[in-house]
Amino acid sequence: MKKRGLKLHKAVDAVLTYCILIAVCAIFLFPILWLVLASFSKTGSIYSFKGFFPSAYSFDSFRKLFTDTEMYNYPRWFGNTLVVSLGSSLLGTALTILTAYCMSRFRFKSRKAIMKATLVLGMFPSFMTMTAVYLLMTQFNLINQHFGLILIYSAGAPMGYLTQKGFFDTISYSIDEAARIDGASNAQVFVRITLPLALPMIVYTLLSSFVWPWSDFILPKLLLKNKELYTVAVGLMSLDNTEFSRFAAGAVFIAVPIVVFYFALSKFLISGMSAGAVKQ
Amino acid sequence: MQKTSKSGFFARMKANCLETFAGFKQVVTQAKGRVSASMLIMGLGQLLYKQWIKGALYLLAQIGFILYFVFRGAQDFIGFFTLGVRESNAWYGIEGDNSVIMMLMGILSIIAILFYVALYIANVKDAYNIQCAVDAGKKPATFKKELGSLLNRNFYKTALLLPIIGVCVFNILPIVFMIIIAFTNYGGDIVPPALVDWVGFANFGKILSLGQFASTFFRIFAWNVLWAVTATAINYFAGLGLALLLNKKCVKGKVFWRLFPILAYAVPGFITLIAFKYMFSYGGPINQMITGAGGTAIGFLDVDAKWMARGIGLFVNAWLCVPSSMLLATGVLSNLNVDLYEAARIDGANAFRQFTAITLPYVLFATMPVLISQFIANFNNFGIFYFLRGGLYMNGYFLASDTDLLINWLYNMSIDNNYYSIGAAISIIIFIITSIISLTVYVMSPSYKQEETYQ
Repeated sequence: MKKRGLKLHKAVDAVLTYCILIAVCAIFLFPILWLVLASFSKTGSIYSFKGFFPSAYSFDSFRKLFTDTEMYNYPRWFGNTLVVSLGSSLLGTALTILTAYCMSRFRFKSRKAIMKATLVLGMFPSFMTMTAVYLLMTQFNLINQHFGLILIYSAGAPMGYLTQKGFFDTISYSIDEAARIDGASNAQVFVRITLPLALPMIVYTLLSSFVWPWSDFILPKLLLKNKELYTVAVGLMSLDNTEFSRFAAGAVFIAVPIVVFYFALSKFLISGMSAGAVKQ
Repeated sequence: MQKTSKSGFFARMKANCLETFAGFKQVVTQAKGRVSASMLIMGLGQLLYKQWIKGALYLLAQIGFILYFVFRGAQDFIGFFTLGVRESNAWYGIEGDNSVIMMLMGILSIIAILFYVALYIANVKDAYNIQCAVDAGKKPATFKKELGSLLNRNFYKTALLLPIIGVCVFNILPIVFMIIIAFTNYGGDIVPPALVDWVGFANFGKILSLGQFASTFFRIFAWNVLWAVTATAINYFAGLGLALLLNKKCVKGKVFWRLFPILAYAVPGFITLIAFKYMFSYGGPINQMITGAGGTAIGFLDVDAKWMARGIGLFVNAWLCVPSSMLLATGVLSNLNVDLYEAARIDGANAFRQFTAITLPYVLFATMPVLISQFIANFNNFGIFYFLRGGLYMNGYFLASDTDLLINWLYNMSIDNNYYSIGAAISIIIFIITSIISLTVYVMSPSYKQEETYQ
């Protein structure tokens, strides 16, 4: 009797779970699906839609995106974005992981002061400083250069070290201590032990610091004056209102690399490597 | 409670200062000939102790600084206070001073001076340490050994050097610059080539005395706080809930279900925001479906759609932020010791009890700092209303609309309408408010108090 009740309870629970999941996923899918459909619509304007669906389909927007580069050089923008995002992701991740590791594992004099200072600094509305950043960049001759963007993105990255520090805090000290007893220096412990254990967190950092430059529009808009140097975000925003399906096509296309990235690496994103490394 | 911790803080500050001072005093009174030589000329003492490389490096640093100061630094330093005296005149072909650049280079020169002072102190301390070692009959640490310690005991110094320099140049310097602007009359008609001047607290006075500024400020501020609290709570608990839902044993095909939020996460934010703006517009799919079903179109983001527009803002923000907070929660949960649940089940705890006693405290501990930064990010969430309802100015608001957050107002003021110095003053006020809120929360949070609990 009791067993059957338990079984029923489990079934109801499963049904409810699936209902919520389906609803949530529909909400997430709806705008994306709409955008993808719009990119395949034959006419440029959204007013020619029949409700949710476009009235006629074609590949024209995509073809135009890559061939009609006179006004809007999309392939060029795409390359620019890739350079900026990859550069700032690699540099920014290295800086962030180093910072987080030090803040988690070392106890030095100015540590608490630095932690509070970064927290306070992070509160400053970031683009209030944009005018200052712009003037700085003119002084350093980094206007209209992708390297300037990379520097700003990656230099700001360590400010967000707290997530990574939180992760390092949850990796047990006992592994470090064991290695140190075996004669490893702190640098060796970091490279040989902490880094491999922190692989999921490194991937998370790489991805999140890749995504930010990939989709930011304020900074490139400020620093890149030449249309040939635009990143995709600025380029797409400069599109005319009548080019809605071209916007949709361009948007769908830049979402593709990130989506592929995420799915290829989703295993790392989720599994914690240190689970099972130390039995507590 | 509050009071004791505060006085404790000041007592600690005082103790720290006294300790530092005592350290200085000790060095100065016990310095012998060669340490004094280092006080006079950096690196000389080290050279006299036959520490060739280190001594030469210190000496080079001093020569470099003197050269910089003579040729550039002194001029920049004075320029910081005058902000330029020569007005440009195209008629006579005079190239005037650019006050803003002078401000910036002045700050850089002050940083250079501070850096030099720090280096000087390090130099004297180092010479003193060598003296102590020699007096005690030990051999002072060789240069090679000291370099080695940078990879071991002092590894944090090596590792933190680059991040700190980067943050100083690209984050702190611009912030300092903006703070300084709040005390000038920069903005409006007064932009280079016109000369900018220091005006003290006049901008803050304007905000508090001019009716239009003050009333707009308090209205937007109230909405801003409500927005930040609601948005953060929604995103956090929705993300955690979704992660727990996907972690359930009965869910088959987790990879498939995770695909949708990750898909939403992967699409760049500005695209989603523009898409949502179109979706809620009169020609958008939602209104087309409503009219298709026989209803009348709704102006979701119209001028008079105050609370509806705010609600849509919350929804769109959740759509954008829940996936990342779900991923974070999933990552944190995967580090949680599974045995705890086993033990709880044996003790007869039900699912809800397991959640409140095990999951929630652990997740809160691991993500408290992130939670605070999410609160700040939401407080200063520029994109949502910039894209959904940007450029809308309303009656009763000075250059803002009823969905605008303070950050949007600042943008309208300083980027679109050139009120630089007033904008900077307002951003300082915002900064003080948010920093007080989050520092208090952070210091009281378990992650700060008991850092070692979950080790």
